Amino acid sequence: MKLEVKEIRKNFGEKEVLHGVSFAVESGKALGLLGRNGAGKTTTIRILMDVFHANSGEILLDGRKFMPSRHQIGYLPEERGLYPKRTVMDQMIYLACLRGMKPAEAKESAGKWLDRLEVKEYAPRKLETLSKGNQQKVQLAATLVCNPEIVILDEPFSGLDPVNSQILKDVVGELIRDNHLVIFSSHQMSYVEEFCDQIAVIDHGEVVMSGELKEIRKEYGRNRLMLAAENYTLDALAEKTEREWNAFVKVSGRKKEFLILELKEGTDRRRFMEQLVKSDVEVEKFGGYEPSLNDIFVSKVGEEA
Amino acid sequence: MRKFTIVLCYELKEYFTNRLFMGLTVLLAVLGAALLCLPRFVDMSGFTGVKVVGEGEDASDADQEEQELFLYLDQAGVVKPEVLARFFPESQWQEAADEAQLRAAVEAQEAEAGFVVTGATQYEYYVFNKAMRDSNAAAFEQAMKQFYRMDVCAASGWNLEEITAMYDVPVTATEVVLNKDTESNYWYSYVLIIIVFMLIVYYGQMIAVSVTNEKSNRAIEVLVTSTSSNSLLFGKVIAGAIGGVFQMGVVLGAVLLSYQINRAQWGGQLDMFLHIPGEVLLAFAFFGLGGYLFYAFLYGAMGALVSKTEDISKSVSGLMIVIMAVYFFSLMQLNNVDGEIIKVLSFLPVSSYSTMFARIAMGTVSAWEIVVSFLILAGSIVGAGVLGAKIYRMGTLRYGNPIKITTILKDMKKKD
Repeated sequence: MKLEVKEIRKNFGEKEVLHGVSFAVESGKALGLLGRNGAGKTTTIRILMDVFHANSGEILLDGRKFMPSRHQIGYLPEERGLYPKRTVMDQMIYLACLRGMKPAEAKESAGKWLDRLEVKEYAPRKLETLSKGNQQKVQLAATLVCNPEIVILDEPFSGLDPVNSQILKDVVGELIRDNHLVIFSSHQMSYVEEFCDQIAVIDHGEVVMSGELKEIRKEYGRNRLMLAAENYTLDALAEKTEREWNAFVKVSGRKKEFLILELKEGTDRRRFMEQLVKSDVEVEKFGGYEPSLNDIFVSKVGEEA
Repeated sequence: MRKFTIVLCYELKEYFTNRLFMGLTVLLAVLGAALLCLPRFVDMSGFTGVKVVGEGEDASDADQEEQELFLYLDQAGVVKPEVLARFFPESQWQEAADEAQLRAAVEAQEAEAGFVVTGATQYEYYVFNKAMRDSNAAAFEQAMKQFYRMDVCAASGWNLEEITAMYDVPVTATEVVLNKDTESNYWYSYVLIIIVFMLIVYYGQMIAVSVTNEKSNRAIEVLVTSTSSNSLLFGKVIAGAIGGVFQMGVVLGAVLLSYQINRAQWGGQLDMFLHIPGEVLLAFAFFGLGGYLFYAFLYGAMGALVSKTEDISKSVSGLMIVIMAVYFFSLMQLNNVDGEIIKVLSFLPVSSYSTMFARIAMGTVSAWEIVVSFLILAGSIVGAGVLGAKIYRMGTLRYGNPIKITTILKDMKKKD
């Protein structure tokens, strides 16, 4: 199964909020939608779910027009909520039945997911009597109760404590391994890095970067080096770099223990190493730098996520 | 259709498993039925005209105790106690020694009232608290006239009985009402219009709250991505309507049944409210409930315009004005059910629930008018439902300030 979003545009009144968003994802893979607040992630997801209609563009599933109502989709919206005064089991069955399951089947599936998310004992209780974390887990169980082929999670980790985040991570991992198609948006890069094979970074309604995370990382890290010295502080080393080696590299960032240097175009890594060896710097750390998703995101979007 | 049924069942469960809702239904039904059983246990003969006597109590003793005491002072020498007894059959009469005694007895509320007859056609009336519907003075006046006639006839040698028979010759009339008896249908039409009004306002509000709650608890986005807004709104509104009809039906049923059982004890005094003919109930079922459903959809749509329950009153205020205007106008027009204005109103979906119903119950209306009016109402119910579902869908993710109906209609037009 392959889901393709092509050139989606969306206007709210006179304002265009999505300017031709495109990305694609396949079964057994997860796509991470990244972007700052207001970048257009949730709008994109809502268009996917047919909550909003796009002004132009198309969404295809295996080459045909994607109709969310004709597929089993597990959707966890950004604005979460269920019925606080109804029992957990009652509303799980209701939502599963609305998505086409028979009541007996829905009850069994609800039991399975509540158990998997470690909230089965709350099945007969009213939702409002549960802690916030457990309510979140029930919400996720309600998302998955219809055993969806496509799972769309909008900021699934927000509001979860580390223990519950781990449970959610495990569940999402299982979904991917079970060949589901997973799309999720998040600010938290570590989660995206953990599961996503593909990413699409949205900024101001545009996809500024998309593709296989491994490739993006490789491409981004190709000209980047890390450097730390025993006899220089990072500030002094940065100053020396700018002063003496600016023909070869520039400082593109810093971590707690090292500087990140970017080789200038046409510069050979070996020539820079020769300069380094000749200098008085006692190298503590030197090598190719594998960027984190956060580095890539910041470099593209220009602000710490 | 299947999803509509799922939504309907889920929403109905909300009503029928709600202890407050069910408890209130039972309480109101029991209370209504119990009130109508009162004449079996409490003497309400003053109103019902039917005497209820406790076990072991002598009827004549009871009558004696219950009789009201009146005093009179005859300064003109015209009073005839046997005539007074005829004009005041439920009362006891005693002659006072003097005016002071009469006044003191009335002031001490030992006597209901007192009359001092100062001349053949003059008297003074003493009463402690004069009731709004005090008829004692009028009855005494009739008695005074009778004393006068008797004295004049006696003095002139005329036969009063012959003269009275001549003046009060009985006329026998046989009334044949060929269509409706407006007088006897007036009160239960009035009551049923009030009931529909209550259904619309009370349960309409409940439906609006139920829709708004889905926005305020943020469940709506999951719902609209799971099924169509038509299924959601129709299921929700029809469940609310069934809940309302169930509650009102149980209470009304208990009241009507209890009245039927206790009708003899009431002396038929409540027939004008509670002895409703079947065809009037049928007209009520179609038009009353149709109107209720029509407004229920509009209430549902109004609920979707706000995201906080405290904003509902703002959102439904326009609708309330229409409902109130129709309500007052319908009641005012009950005295003129064959008038032109009520005829026009009986075809409008906003008002046919009460005006066509009133025309059927009390006036002259042809079959084609009933059919056309009902078809317009039925079409309007569907139209209100579809429009409501569109508003519901468009209002889905609009949180914050209440949305104006004109704004959402403009947006809908743009989209179309």
